[in-house]
Amino acid sequence: MSPVCQRPSNPCAVGVLTAGDEDKDCSGRPKIYENAELVELLEEDSFQAQKELALTLEVTWQAVSHRLKSSGMIHKQGVSPDLAVNKYRWPGIETETGIGVRINVLTLISSFIPNPSCNEFPKLDDVHPFYADLMNVLYDKDHYKLGLGQLNTARHLIDNVAKDYVRLLKYGDSLYRCKQLKRAALGRMATIMKRQAANLTYLEQVRQHLARLPSIDPYTRTIIICGFPNVGKSSFINKITRADVEVQPYAFTTKSLYVGHTDYKYLRWQIIDTPGILDHPLEDRNVIEMQAVTALAHLRAAVLYFIDPSEQCGHTIEGQISLDNISLFEGIKPLFTNKPLIVVLNKVDVVRPEDLPSHKRELLQKLEEVCTSGKITNGESTGVPGDVPLMMMSTVTGEGVQEVKIEACERLLAQRVTEKMRTKKVDGILNRLHVAMPQPRDSKPRPAVIPEAVQLKKQAAFISRKRKLEREIELEEGDDYVLDLKKNYEEIPEDERHDVIPEFWEGHNIADYIDPEIFEKLAELEKEEELREMAGVYAVPKIELDETMKEIKDLARQIRNKKAVLKDESRLVKQSTKPVMPRTSRARGRDRSTAGLRQEMEKLGVDMSDTKNAHFTRTRGHSRSRSKSVPATAEGVEGPPAKRARKDVSVGRSVSRPPRDEQGIKDVVLQKKAKKMAHVAIAKKVKKMGLKGEADRFIGTKMPKHLFSGKRGIGKTTRR
Amino acid sequence: MPQNEYIERHQKLYGRRLDYEERKRKREAREPHKRAEKARKLRGIKAKIFNKQRRNEKIQMKKKIKAHEERNVKENTEKVSEGALPVYLLDRDVQSRAKVLSNMIKQKRKEKAGKWDVPIPKVRAQADAEVFKVLKSGKSKRKAWKRMVTKVTFVGENFTRKPPKFERFIRPMALRFKKAHVTHPELKATFCLPIIGVKKNPSSQMYTSLGVITKGTVIEVNISELGLVTQAGKVVWGKYAQVTNNPENDGCINAVLLV
Repeated sequence: MSPVCQRPSNPCAVGVLTAGDEDKDCSGRPKIYENAELVELLEEDSFQAQKELALTLEVTWQAVSHRLKSSGMIHKQGVSPDLAVNKYRWPGIETETGIGVRINVLTLISSFIPNPSCNEFPKLDDVHPFYADLMNVLYDKDHYKLGLGQLNTARHLIDNVAKDYVRLLKYGDSLYRCKQLKRAALGRMATIMKRQAANLTYLEQVRQHLARLPSIDPYTRTIIICGFPNVGKSSFINKITRADVEVQPYAFTTKSLYVGHTDYKYLRWQIIDTPGILDHPLEDRNVIEMQAVTALAHLRAAVLYFIDPSEQCGHTIEGQISLDNISLFEGIKPLFTNKPLIVVLNKVDVVRPEDLPSHKRELLQKLEEVCTSGKITNGESTGVPGDVPLMMMSTVTGEGVQEVKIEACERLLAQRVTEKMRTKKVDGILNRLHVAMPQPRDSKPRPAVIPEAVQLKKQAAFISRKRKLEREIELEEGDDYVLDLKKNYEEIPEDERHDVIPEFWEGHNIADYIDPEIFEKLAELEKEEELREMAGVYAVPKIELDETMKEIKDLARQIRNKKAVLKDESRLVKQSTKPVMPRTSRARGRDRSTAGLRQEMEKLGVDMSDTKNAHFTRTRGHSRSRSKSVPATAEGVEGPPAKRARKDVSVGRSVSRPPRDEQGIKDVVLQKKAKKMAHVAIAKKVKKMGLKGEADRFIGTKMPKHLFSGKRGIGKTTRR
Repeated sequence: MPQNEYIERHQKLYGRRLDYEERKRKREAREPHKRAEKARKLRGIKAKIFNKQRRNEKIQMKKKIKAHEERNVKENTEKVSEGALPVYLLDRDVQSRAKVLSNMIKQKRKEKAGKWDVPIPKVRAQADAEVFKVLKSGKSKRKAWKRMVTKVTFVGENFTRKPPKFERFIRPMALRFKKAHVTHPELKATFCLPIIGVKKNPSSQMYTSLGVITKGTVIEVNISELGLVTQAGKVVWGKYAQVTNNPENDGCINAVLLV
C-alpha cells in the first residue's frame, strides 16, 4: 500500500486512550463504541469514509472524526487525503450541485507512487557485515545508497504532489475540472518518476544480481576454500558437494562465490568456493578477488589454503607459500587469524612433494615447521588449535579428498565447541545434559541370560522342521541361487508350474477370465447340447415351393437385376464431369417411337401381339421432317422423324448485332478458345466453392450472428 | 543449486535450443510486418505516439547512415587564400553594435504600440457564478451573502481575515498560490518566481482587487533572481507577466513575461 493511504495505525496509542468515549452529538442514548472496533473497521477497508464508518458503528460522523483525530489517525485535516476528500463532499458538492465527484483519487494516485522498494532492499547497516561488504564490493556502497536515497526523495515528492492536488480537488466544482486536476497530478508524478529511470534500472540490476547471489549463512559451520587461481578449488568443491561449479583450465573460471553443502557426522557443512586470489596489495585487487577476501575476512570458518606444487597453475611455489613478504600466503595471513587453517597440497597425482627439486622441498619443509609452531593462526586464546596440518590431495584421482574434508570439519567442530564452552550460555546447556556412564563393579563378566529350556526348545524346533528355508537354500547354492517361488505352487502339476502366463492378452486381463470350474461347466454345456440335438431342435425344416411361387421368385430376381443395372448406369452418367448439353439446345432425333416402345415392352415380357388398335399406334405422320429422319435401325423399324432444333429468336435486338459471347471475337478458333476458358473458370469456381453448378447462388447463412453483433473494430466487417 | 551466472553457464554447457537462430531470424524478419500492421491499425493518441516515435527512429537512422557515408567521402580541404584574417582578428564589434541599435529601435516601437500589447489579447469572460460559490450562513442557513472564490487567488502576505461575521469573500487556503512558472520569451527559459501582486484581471475589477488569477490575468512577479539589469544599471525586480493557462484546472500558474 502506498504511503499516502497508510494511516499511522499505532495500536499502542489507541490503547492509551480511554476506551469507550461517549458520543455527545447523537440524540437519544449515548452510544459507546470501542477504539479497537474503529481501528479494525479502518483496517478492513482503506477507502472507507468516516461517514460510512459512522453508519457502521451507528454514531454520527463528527464523533468518528473526533475520535480519529484524537487517536492520531488524522493528523490535520487534509493530511489523510481519502478522509478529507470524502468529508468535504458531504456538506458541499454532493448535496448542492448534485455532481457526485467520486474520483477515487487515492487509487489513482497511489498506483503511481513507486512501491517503496527502498524498504524491500536490504539496508547496508542492518545486514551481516559479510553481506554489507560483499555488496559494497559488487555494487559500490555509495552508488547504492544514493540510488535508494533518490528513490525515497522521489517518493516524498510524489507524496507532496498528491497532497497538493487533493487539496485543490476539494474545490473542484465540475467534473471537468476534477478530471483536469487529476490528469495534471498524474502528469507531474509521471515526470518525477521519469527522472528516476536510470536510477531504477541500476536498482533493478542490483536486485536481479542480489537474487542470484548464493545464500550464504554467515553463522553456520562453514569451510572456505581459497588459493591462487587454477589450483583446483572448484574441483574440490565439486568432489565433496553437489554444487555444480564450472571447472576450466584457465585462471578466474570462478568469478564469484559459490556455495555447496556436504554432510559429515550428521551435520550440514557449508562449503564456500572463492575465486582465485592473486598476490598483490589489497588496493590493487579487483572485484573478483575482493569477493574472496570479503568471505575470508567476515566468515568465521575453517580455511583451506590450496597449493599447487606442480606449478601447473602458472604460479611458482615460492609465490604461493614462501614465508617472506612476497607470497600470497604471507599476504593474506592476517585473514587466517582465529580460524582453523589447513594447507592443502593439491595435484599430487602430477608431482609428489618428495619428487620436487630440493629448494622447493625446503620451502615446503620450512612452511611445515612454521605451521606446527602455531604462529600463523595465533589462536591459543580463542581455542583454535595452533598447528596447521599440511595435507596432500588430488582431486583427479580422489586421493586424500575425504581426509581433507574430514580434517577440516573436525577442526572447525572442535573450535566451535571450545568457543561455545567459553560463553555464558554453556552452563545452561550443561545443566540439562547428563550422560550416564556406569562403571564396572568388578571384573566378573555378566552376559545376558537365556534359560536352558528355551535354548532346547529352539534347537528342537530347528530339527523338527522338514522344509528347507529359502535362506538355507541360498547359502547352499551360493551365487547360483535364484529365488523361485513357483515351485511352491503345489496345486498346479509339476510340468505346468513354471509356465509363463501373461497378465494381459489382446487387451484382456487374464485374471478376469480364470474360472476354476471351467471344465465342469464346459462338460455340462456339452451334455445339454447333445440332448438338444437329439431332440431335433436344430433340424432344418424342408420347404417345398409350388409353381406360382417359383415364378414370383424368378420375376423378383429379374427386377432386382434390372434395378441394379439401372443404378449402375445412372451412377456412370452422374460420374462424368463433362459438361452436359441441355436436351433443348441441340437438334436431336426422336428417340422415342412406337416401335421402340413395342420392342421394349416385348423385351420385358409383355405380350404385344394384339395392339393393332392400341392408342399408342395411332401416331400422326410427320411428312416434313420425314426427309431428315433418322435412318432405319437394323431391325427394320423406321426411326422417328428428326426434331427440329429450337431457335431462340431475340425479338428486341437488331440482328446486325452479334450476341454478347461472340462480340469482339475474330474467328471460330478464338471463340472456341474463349468458350473453353470460360468453361474452365466456371468449373473452377464451382469446384472451389462447392457449388452445385454454374447457377448456384446459395448463401448458407444470410446474416451470420457473429458479424452483426457487438462492436466492430477497424476493418472487421467481413471477417471476425 | 543455481547460483550466480547460472543462465550463462547453462548456455555454455548445453547450448541454445536448436532452432534458436532460426526463430530469432524469423522474429526479426517479422518485425517490419508487425510494425506496418500496427501503423495501419492504430488510431487516436496511440497512433500519434507511435508515429512520433517512429519518426524519431527514422531520423536517427538517416543520421547514422549519413554519418557512415560521410566517413567514406574523402574531403578536399580548400587551401586558405592568401591574406585571410585569422579568427581572432575578425571584426565582431560592428555587428553587435548594430544589433544593440536595432534592439533599441524595436523597444521604442513596442512602447509606442501600447502598453497592453500582450501575448493573449482576448480572454473568455469569467462569470460571477463560475468564480464564486454561494455559502449559506445563519442559524438555519437562510442567509446567502457569503461567497467563496473557487478560482486560484493570490493573497498578499500581510492579509488578515475579517471577522467571519463580516467576511463576504472567502479565499480558501488551498487555492492560494504564491509562485508562478514564468517563461522569458526571449531567453526561452522558465523560472519559478514569487508573485508580487495581481495587476489586472481582465474579467472584472473586483477580481483584480480580490487577487483572482485566471487565464489572461496580468500578474506582477519578482524577477530579482534573474538578475536583469536596466539600462541605467539597476536591478529590475518587478515585472509583469500574463497567465497563459487555467490555473484552477492545472494546479499551477504558467505565465509569459511581458518584455
